[in-house]
Amino acid sequence: MPPAITADRLSKTFKVKVRDPGLKGALQALLKPRYRDVHAVRDVTFGIEPGEIVAFLGPNGAGKTTTLKMLAGLLYPTSGRVTVAGFAPWGGGPAFKRRIALVLGNRQQLVWDLPPEETFQLNRAIYDIAESDYRERLAELVALLELEDLLDKPVRQLSLGERMKCELAAALLHHPPILFLDEPTLGLDVTAQEAIRRFLTQYRDRHGATVLLTSHYMQDVTALASRVLIINRGRLLYDGALAALVARIAHTKRIELMLADGVTAEQLAAFGDVKEFRFPNAVLEVPREEAAATSARLLAQLPVADLSIEDPPIEDVIRVAFARGVAEDEA
Amino acid sequence: MSRAAWLRRYAALIRNAWLVDLQYRASIVLWLLWGVTEPAVALGIWWTIAGEGQVAGYARADFARYFFALMLVNQLTIAWDSWYLDGWIREGELNFRLARPLHPAHEAVAENIAYKARTAGMILVVWLVVSLVWPAVRLPLAPARWALTAAAVLLAGAMRFFISFTTGLLAFWTTRATAIMELHAGVSLFLSGRLAPLALLPPAVAGAAALSWFPYMLAFPVELLTGAAQGTAVVKGFAGQLVWLGVWIAAYHVTWTRGVRRYGAVGG
Repeated sequence: MPPAITADRLSKTFKVKVRDPGLKGALQALLKPRYRDVHAVRDVTFGIEPGEIVAFLGPNGAGKTTTLKMLAGLLYPTSGRVTVAGFAPWGGGPAFKRRIALVLGNRQQLVWDLPPEETFQLNRAIYDIAESDYRERLAELVALLELEDLLDKPVRQLSLGERMKCELAAALLHHPPILFLDEPTLGLDVTAQEAIRRFLTQYRDRHGATVLLTSHYMQDVTALASRVLIINRGRLLYDGALAALVARIAHTKRIELMLADGVTAEQLAAFGDVKEFRFPNAVLEVPREEAAATSARLLAQLPVADLSIEDPPIEDVIRVAFARGVAEDEA
Repeated sequence: MSRAAWLRRYAALIRNAWLVDLQYRASIVLWLLWGVTEPAVALGIWWTIAGEGQVAGYARADFARYFFALMLVNQLTIAWDSWYLDGWIREGELNFRLARPLHPAHEAVAENIAYKARTAGMILVVWLVVSLVWPAVRLPLAPARWALTAAAVLLAGAMRFFISFTTGLLAFWTTRATAIMELHAGVSLFLSGRLAPLALLPPAVAGAAALSWFPYMLAFPVELLTGAAQGTAVVKGFAGQLVWLGVWIAAYHVTWTRGVRRYGAVGG
């Protein structure tokens, strides 16, 4: 089976007007405009197989959303090639657009003043979905996303989380094989975030959909994505499994301890770097390759009630990845 | 897509537009008042000026018929698309519209149909009620003239739609697209016949207007309806409408194709 998505040396450069502050700057910009190139995406290459859930990670302005918009056919690439579901997105036309869904966390397609079902009905007409298919798919989405109480409430009365659930339902009624989700859990509370994650996994398992999502929330990534693409300043820094990234970047492991009586921080310091100590809990950081041996020594020499070995928090790993990418970029 | 599928799409778009309208009933009344007030004020002024005589061949009754016809034709041809498009483009609401298998212009056309059916329907009722008590505004029931007017209104509506949509598309390049449309509306106040029948314009201004699209947006279908346009004026009017519609469709095509290419897709 061919890849669902391929990007080959994809680049996007925006021309941005430069304006000095103040009235003089405004006049100058009017009479003699100056522009500078902003390289939002530079030579990005990757492929995504059908049924994969891949997360795009990067700080604000890294180029995630720009890439997503090029894949969805909204933006015209400055150079490079893209194939999505066998189409070049820009020239794919209606046939291509029926194969994708684009959900933007901070822009909605639901009609603000009407209940969500009116937008669903509109999409049914726009995508020419047969009545029986529509009923069946809506019932499935209502069940998976728990929408039954929301269908007849005006969108403006729904909470952010409820709106996002309805937004997903509206975007998936035509059963697209490829989903582009930009910050689907943005601003949602923990329960709503979990509901969206659970739904996306179930939807992929049932329909074999390919999902490419961007998110700021590491939980989205660890819960959903088998693979991450890390992008910073428009460049792809890493493409692979999250676990492999951690192994590559994190040179330490965390040993989390629950101690019995009489252990001090000074005693612990002999075993590794004490990151946290609040009796009876403590966290030690030790070199990755020494984690097993140090754990054995701790168990032998100190009264330990419980011990576990963890990777460092994923946020820390990603931060290091970004920082290294920036360092390479500036070198 | 079959024709039935297209009809279903338009029916769904129009239905949603009406459902949203029903949420804003007060604004419907305000727009209706605006649609009636402007021609009524213009009529009041010309009514006073004409007195018992005539101005450029227009007596009081002619002015009354002209402005009632104008009220209806204006509502049937007016287009607000530049304001919507400007928002869609600058605030990123064009994004999901570009990701759907339906050109955003279809949504705009459906909105136009919904708006015009609603407002023009109400204006027609106002006109019918007024004509019961005021014979001056009655029009002869000549089917051929009404049929010609319908065609001219359709062409004028299409032209005003493409003007508005194309101007709105300028938001791809500038944050001043609505200001350009305001300027266009200001000029059209004089040159399209909204403030006065074109026969009353100074010859130099009338000459300039004749070279532009403005008279074909409004004055021509209005004069067709009142019977002021006869013979070669009808042929010239339709020819002018077709030429300018063609020009604006071409302008739309160029603006759309280039605009979406340079679209920045701002916001999420």
